[in-house]
Amino acid sequence: MDWLDKTLTKVNDLWERSLDRHIRIAVTGLSGAGKTAFITSFINQILHASTEQQLPFLEVATEGRLKAAKLELHDELHVPAFKYHQCLESLTAEPANWPASTTSISQAQLKCRYQIKSQWLSKVQEQSHLTIDIIDYPGEWLLDLPLLALSYKEWSQQCSQFLQSERRRKYTQQATDAIAQLEFHREFDEVDGSGQLSELAGEYRKALLEYRYSEGDNSIALPGRFILPGELSGAPVLDFFPIINADVLSLDWSSLEERSLLKSLERRYNYYRQQIVKPFFEEYFAKVDRQILLVDTTTVLESGYESYQDLKKTIEQLLAGFSYGRSNWLKRLFSPSIDKLMIATTKVDLIPPDQHANIESFMQKMIAQAKNDVGYEGVEVDTMAISAVTTSEPVSTEHDGEALLCVKGLDTETEESVLHYPGKIPTSSLSRNEWQHLAIDFSPFGIPQLNADEPLPYIRMDKVLQFLLGDKFS
Amino acid sequence: MSDKPVKFYSKDKEHQKAEKLLRESLAQAEQEHQLVQSEGAEDELEELPKLKGQSKKKSLLRRLFWPALSAFVVIAAGYEAIQFVSSLVQTHWLLGSVVGVIAGAVVVSGGYMLLKGWRARRRFKERQQQQKQFAALLHKNSYGQATGKLDNLSAEIDEFVDIRELKQQYQKRKQQVHNDQELIQIYSNTVLKGLDKMAIDIITKHAAEAAAMVALSPLAAADMALVAWRGSKMIEQLSHLYGCPQTALSRLEMTKKVFKNMMLAGASELAADAGVELLGKGLTATISTKAAQGIGVGLLVARMGLQTMHLCRPVVFDANSKPKLSEIRKSIYSKVAGLVKSASGADNAVDKKEQGKS
Repeated sequence: MDWLDKTLTKVNDLWERSLDRHIRIAVTGLSGAGKTAFITSFINQILHASTEQQLPFLEVATEGRLKAAKLELHDELHVPAFKYHQCLESLTAEPANWPASTTSISQAQLKCRYQIKSQWLSKVQEQSHLTIDIIDYPGEWLLDLPLLALSYKEWSQQCSQFLQSERRRKYTQQATDAIAQLEFHREFDEVDGSGQLSELAGEYRKALLEYRYSEGDNSIALPGRFILPGELSGAPVLDFFPIINADVLSLDWSSLEERSLLKSLERRYNYYRQQIVKPFFEEYFAKVDRQILLVDTTTVLESGYESYQDLKKTIEQLLAGFSYGRSNWLKRLFSPSIDKLMIATTKVDLIPPDQHANIESFMQKMIAQAKNDVGYEGVEVDTMAISAVTTSEPVSTEHDGEALLCVKGLDTETEESVLHYPGKIPTSSLSRNEWQHLAIDFSPFGIPQLNADEPLPYIRMDKVLQFLLGDKFS
Repeated sequence: MSDKPVKFYSKDKEHQKAEKLLRESLAQAEQEHQLVQSEGAEDELEELPKLKGQSKKKSLLRRLFWPALSAFVVIAAGYEAIQFVSSLVQTHWLLGSVVGVIAGAVVVSGGYMLLKGWRARRRFKERQQQQKQFAALLHKNSYGQATGKLDNLSAEIDEFVDIRELKQQYQKRKQQVHNDQELIQIYSNTVLKGLDKMAIDIITKHAAEAAAMVALSPLAAADMALVAWRGSKMIEQLSHLYGCPQTALSRLEMTKKVFKNMMLAGASELAADAGVELLGKGLTATISTKAAQGIGVGLLVARMGLQTMHLCRPVVFDANSKPKLSEIRKSIYSKVAGLVKSASGADNAVDKKEQGKS
């Protein structure tokens, strides 16, 4: 009866596997939005949830059904692992530091054992597993999506238009002049000439990056990997740039020789599109179930009208992937499976709690149109004001004879306790004039002493977890 | 007035006047908005247009009837009582004073009961008000208003029920950054959820008891009395649990409201309940008609209990936390089925004995 036993265990195995669940959550945001801190806190909260009961809005935890959770090595071994322990260590070290930021894709896997809620299913099997894959990638990469639909010529045209603005010219003049002097129809030796090409591409890239950081403009100046190359740093695939000579752009390129400089650039562009961008989106859209987009609204409130408009445009572009991801050409390329999207404004621990609603509504106004488009495609969208690792606590005090709610934290330099009131946060978008009169200051606090054995202090992470995971624990 | 085109620049007085009017109207609109908001927070959440003239305004003469009649009866009874006592005093002073003391006791205890009833009624009305306030806060993005209200509520409930442990849970889960909506949700999920569990236990117990009694009682008239007795007992216990205790006098009003709500309960809910009951009919019919009646009565009592929970719970249930009849139905069935089984078991035993004798 050996075979019978074997079959029985196999059947049992199959049963268990069919009831087990798997969910992939992608975390993204432009650099500086707090992705790494978010994922560290995400993992930390789940790991502590079964013993500490610190997540009142995560139903599976409050109902006592979450039995245990552990961090495991993910199945896709070619993707770098998210360094949870290092991040936690740097947060709890003396002196504490924010974990190093995301420059490439990384992944972490959590396994949760929970009790099944459904009466019928629980008769078959009492407990089940949920495997949570968390994928962390730079938001800049999402901006590459439009490239898939653009040929090299179209892209060049778009770029030359983009570079014409006065604001950008200041930074890019030198690089564009150098590019304009090139003879594109000349025969080009891939081996000898590549040094010159990469030099020029590097110059172009540097100029735009400088523009990007000094003006705070995140928009489409560059392909995403130019900003954060990840593992591609130094690879020849990144050594290309748009053609900005009007006379070359107006030519018919089909008559050009295969070995010309122009064709060489086009080849690199196409390679970038086909071998870098497309596989990323294929993997990403086809496999991810839930997406969270982190937006740093505090920084944009501190800067001016221009960067607000820039951020707004960038987020619209980021979200465009989700809205047209479900229709027309993109659907044919990849079959998207994202059904929930959370857009969270981070770092709200710098804001007194009575104003959290303000900043949430400010962000909602900023993304209203994009959110609407995504919602139209049947994706459930929610917004929230969160803080992954809280560095402050709310205190009320009296100022000019009136009660005032402030946040109390540590000064970044002197490490002494300081109360801060950031000013009145607007609830809706402002006109150019109103931006100038906006008096707001979010000075960051130092990291307080955190205990590595206790869950990290947070604001509304439990609600985020419930939105992203809640229904999978049924 | 001329028909020629004209422009007013900001230095012209027409322009200034228009600006001033605009500012005034804006300020007025804001003021009205604030007024409406503050009123909305105080009493009613819904600002739906209402039918005018449909309010229950009766004419003065009609309204006068009941107070006048009761005043008349009280005065007449009082007058008669005084005459009665004084005539007894004339017969013998001891007899008179004893009766007088008894009459005094009646008046004092009656007055006390009235006072308690009135207070309980007021408390019930306050509870309805609380429900509205919490519902309003749940839909707003406010901060700092719920804490005081929830503490008051805890104090109210604490008078009758020991909720130390539940309160600790609540304290542990809440953070200072939570806004009103989140605080109320947490309170509802900890303290009130604990109370709900106890309430369901009470309802289950009473409904099962009523079902068993009716299944066993030989008299149809007794059934009605049983339902009334068990029902009122249950309502009393439930109202105690949620911190707005109701006495016999005010309970009448509440019972009225419970029945009214049961009548008005959403069609879907009724349909679902009916479906559940129909599903069970096959089983019950096989047991016996009397047992089926018992189960029916048990379900009625259970439904009364659930409606009382809806009325007394300070934060109204959301779609997920709503208690369902099916939770209680099972225990009613098992109780009655157990009774019938043991009864038929006894019958069989008697039959066997008789067979053995013959």
